[in-house]
Amino acid sequence: MDGMDYDPMAMDGDSEQPQVKISAVLQQADKTHVDFELSRTNLSFANSLRRVIQAEVPTIAIDLVEIEVNTSVLADEFIAHRLGLIPLDSKNVGDLNYSRDCDCEQYCEQCSVTLNLHAKCTSDDIMKVYASDLVTDGQHANSVGKPVINDPEGLGCLLAKLRMGQELRLTCIAKKGIAKEHAKWMPTSAVGFEYDPHNKLQHTDLWFENDTDPAKEWPKSKHAEWEDPPQEGEPFDYDAVPNRFYFEVEAAGNMEPDQIIQNGIRILQQKIGGLLKGLDPRKYGGEEEPDFDGPRSPDMNLDGSTTPWQDTGYQTAYGGGYGGGQTSYGGSQTSYGQGSQSSFGQDGQGSYGQGGGGSYGNMTAYGTTPYGQSSWQ
Amino acid sequence: MPGRTKKDEPTAQDTNMEDAPPSAQPEAEEVDTEDQEEVQEEEEIEPQRVRILPGSTDTAASFEFVDEGHTVGNALRYIIMKNPDVEFCAYSIPHPSEPKMNLRIQTYDGLAVDALKKGLADLQDICDVVTDEFTTKKDQFNAEHGIVR
Repeated sequence: MDGMDYDPMAMDGDSEQPQVKISAVLQQADKTHVDFELSRTNLSFANSLRRVIQAEVPTIAIDLVEIEVNTSVLADEFIAHRLGLIPLDSKNVGDLNYSRDCDCEQYCEQCSVTLNLHAKCTSDDIMKVYASDLVTDGQHANSVGKPVINDPEGLGCLLAKLRMGQELRLTCIAKKGIAKEHAKWMPTSAVGFEYDPHNKLQHTDLWFENDTDPAKEWPKSKHAEWEDPPQEGEPFDYDAVPNRFYFEVEAAGNMEPDQIIQNGIRILQQKIGGLLKGLDPRKYGGEEEPDFDGPRSPDMNLDGSTTPWQDTGYQTAYGGGYGGGQTSYGGSQTSYGQGSQSSFGQDGQGSYGQGGGGSYGNMTAYGTTPYGQSSWQ
Repeated sequence: MPGRTKKDEPTAQDTNMEDAPPSAQPEAEEVDTEDQEEVQEEEEIEPQRVRILPGSTDTAASFEFVDEGHTVGNALRYIIMKNPDVEFCAYSIPHPSEPKMNLRIQTYDGLAVDALKKGLADLQDICDVVTDEFTTKKDQFNAEHGIVR
């Protein structure tokens, strides 16, 4: 990295680092919005932030449903799908492992939350089953995995309706995941992303009918008053780049919106950190092609005399009757030790020919075994 | 037929011996592949997600990122292009159903790998700045508007 000590942030027009201006954190009962302006950065980074917020911030959602009894009119998979889409409290999602990374066999309390539902209609009236009827197993100290309930009645989403005698008994396993895998893990319901509200950069067409007023067809957004409108007869600035980005993050309810943004940036950093970590320990020498596939590394095979193909494979096959062959093989190994691969092949063949007689004439197979080619080379 | 099998018996050992090397081959290979799989499983603990594509030189290299996309690609492309030593940098996703992202870096001076490392480090710095900015501005806003969280 020598000779590359420039400041990337000082390279932008005004030599200042990225700036954030929070324009509104809507103080509603549900606290689901954060509006902010990200400036003095570039479109690529702002878009990365938007993408990561929408698709890669982990939340918890029901992933497995074990249905014991379902005599409702809805099919099992229909109910399972509805259950998956219920927002679950994910504020402490960091306490859970990803199920695939967990040490357990299938799932455990460290990587999942279990929710139970048992509802049976015993009256003539139609019974409604709500998300609030889901009971968490109580294995977690905090509220992680509890259904998010924001309505004044405290019922949550409607899951199903049951008639007299119909019953629903099931167990749900909620797991940690990201929206890249399934949209049920989305932490946001919508993310507004806007720049250049006056379209000075001509990044959009803003098409309109001939007989309509373009100003009416395309009403200015609320961010338009934050920026200077274009002057009459202003020449197009070919060097202009967008540098003010307006975000309107609307959380789905399972997480607070500012937590989503902070987690999003952290995840972006983790992604980059992971790539750096993968790059640093290995010194790339230009044309050097690291061996990603195939046997791991030569030294591993040489050291590990216990590797199966060196001991068992050969000794079972040749060990008994081929004492002479083995010694001659040993001899060829020394010739390999001297460093010439070809002499190994020749020696091996020749010594076999001498030791074992004519039947070994076609023993070229030795040259193509793992010994000669793939493992030690 | 029974006589024949009896006749074969004494030679059976010989043929077995003759057949031994070729018959041992698949056996050895089986062990081999099994072991490879084991090794690969071990590798999966920390998979290498960046590799240099063939045809690359010190100053002009193409990298292949596994499991990365536009999110990292575009931001990385931009920040590497900011480097005055970099002649060219671009990224592409060759096929939408392959989780791969290719990044090409050509430098005037210095190694392409160093430019990539520098770019990644710079991107992390930007993330740090934005996190700090967001946290302070959010706390400030909440304090001004009397929002308790």
